Amino acid sequence: MPISTATFIRSTLTLLGAGLLILIVVAGSSVWLAERTRENAADVQEAQSIRSRTSRLLTLLLDAETGQCGFLLTQDPRYLEPYEAARRQIRPDMERLKQLHQSDPDEGRALDEVSRAVLTKLGELDQTIALAQVGNLAAALDLAKTDRSRETMEAARKTLLDLLARTDVRLRGDIEDMTSGARYLSFATIAGGLLVFLVGAGSFLIVGRYTRDLVGARAEVQTLNETLEERVQERTTDLARANDEIQRFAYIVSHDLRAPLVNIMGFTSELETGVGTVSRFFDELQVDETSTSAWEAKVAVKDDMPEAIGFIRASSTRMDSLINAILRLSREGRRTLKPERVDFGELLDLLAANIQHQVSEAGGEIALMRPLPTLISDRLALEQIFGNLFDNAVKYRDRNRPLRIMIRAIESGRIVHFEIIDNGRGIAKEDHERIFELFRRSGVQDRPGEGIGLAHVRALARRLGGDIKVESELGVGTTFRVSLPRVLRQQTSEKAMEGVNS
Amino acid sequence: MSSEAQAVTIVMVEDDEGHARLIEKNIRRAGVNNVIIPFTDGTSALEYMLGGDGSGEASARRHLLVLLDLNLPDMTGVDILAKVKASRQTRRSPVVILTTTDDQREIQRCYDLGANVYITKPVNYESFANAIRQLGLFFSVMQIPETD
Repeated sequence: MPISTATFIRSTLTLLGAGLLILIVVAGSSVWLAERTRENAADVQEAQSIRSRTSRLLTLLLDAETGQCGFLLTQDPRYLEPYEAARRQIRPDMERLKQLHQSDPDEGRALDEVSRAVLTKLGELDQTIALAQVGNLAAALDLAKTDRSRETMEAARKTLLDLLARTDVRLRGDIEDMTSGARYLSFATIAGGLLVFLVGAGSFLIVGRYTRDLVGARAEVQTLNETLEERVQERTTDLARANDEIQRFAYIVSHDLRAPLVNIMGFTSELETGVGTVSRFFDELQVDETSTSAWEAKVAVKDDMPEAIGFIRASSTRMDSLINAILRLSREGRRTLKPERVDFGELLDLLAANIQHQVSEAGGEIALMRPLPTLISDRLALEQIFGNLFDNAVKYRDRNRPLRIMIRAIESGRIVHFEIIDNGRGIAKEDHERIFELFRRSGVQDRPGEGIGLAHVRALARRLGGDIKVESELGVGTTFRVSLPRVLRQQTSEKAMEGVNS
Repeated sequence: MSSEAQAVTIVMVEDDEGHARLIEKNIRRAGVNNVIIPFTDGTSALEYMLGGDGSGEASARRHLLVLLDLNLPDMTGVDILAKVKASRQTRRSPVVILTTTDDQREIQRCYDLGANVYITKPVNYESFANAIRQLGLFFSVMQIPETD
């Protein structure tokens, strides 16, 4: 089933939106996780820094004690060098360590303890060294040999080792955090990538299907386009055939209707002659006026029969003119149009001249609004169209005012509209379509006519690729508007018809 | 009327008996008294004019004048015209086409095939009668060759 454009747009947009959302989430979580990793790394660095300083502190303390022992044993001031170096280093290191632990109050307290223990030991070492330097070596040795000296050293070492152990724990935790953060980050990236891939694949499928549909539809349109001409040709041929059949039908019907009419008219005349003979015979014969049958016979011959014959004759004449009208229309439809240059200025001048006499007699005038265009069309058909309209204008003029006929051309692209405007008696609105029908007339039936003219005009105008319309107001006048193509194209239907005929 | 003219036989091919009657009446009114042989279909008319074998030998010694309608039940008058004008024995016989068709192409075709006169039957009886009477007048002055 083909995807409708709306569905396609909706699903594609939904997928694109989902993809964008996933990308935002993945990017956000990546940034967050990276930030956390960075924090963890800083923590690790800090812990490592604490650890190294703590162990250095311990080393310094041990160095100081070693220096003290050496000095006490030898009294050689060279042994005091490591002691002095350690002593100089210990205080700033303690301060540095305190700074590193500022953020954590618990560790701060623990560090105070460390500091106290270290400073106590350092104070004791200072004391023994000071005693030894002033020569009181025995007192210094006593002091160094006491349990207290050992205990202070142990306390300091223990606090420092505790601190080291705690730092190690913290370091492990931090490293663990960092590892898991990195794991989360890669997991989120993989999951996001997978989702984006799925969304992408979905979009790809939909776009692919839609594109396939589009390609299919285009191919179909192309095929239709290619066969269009052919189908138009086929239908035109069918139409031409149907049209041709109607023409033939009208032609045959009118001819076959004519044959019996010849008989009706012929024998009516024979009958009339016969009745005339009998009538003359009655005139010569002295009939007995009192005889009813003789009187009736005389009435029949003198009045009834001539009357009947008169009606038969009138009806036959009417029938004949109707048949002739059909025949003329049929013939007009069969005539091959010959497109040629037709100068409307000349053509209308000629047609106006034909009715000039009648128009002048009625005190009227014809106005041709120049310039008039030149068309490529069938001259004979145009003469019939405009001649008919001119005749109508004269025939149905309003006798209460002088006739005025105006003709003008309005050009509009490939079409030219001719307006034949008169101030005649006009046509009632309900008859505007009817007047173009065969054998139909409108208004007061005081002029001779069969109701053929306008039907003929419309058939001709349409055959020339144009049309005719009427605008009219009863008692005011009528405007016939004939629209004609500037160039008459030999119609496809006619070409097709030639094909049918050959 | 000369004895040659008297000897001319008028062959009338007309399927409408009313028309045939009206034509005959008016020919007689014009004073033409030649024998008129009516046919209502093309087959029997051709058989009479060209003989059963279609050779035309049957008309070798006849003086014929053919009145021909174009709309016949079994064939068109154009076919008859073509056959009559194609046969050596009948081709010089005058053929008068009398029909309701006044189609220009049909008229041209008949003259092309050798028709001598083409008359459209008008519905108006006066014109019709007049045309036939003039035709009768025409017959009386017309020299019809004996076929060889």
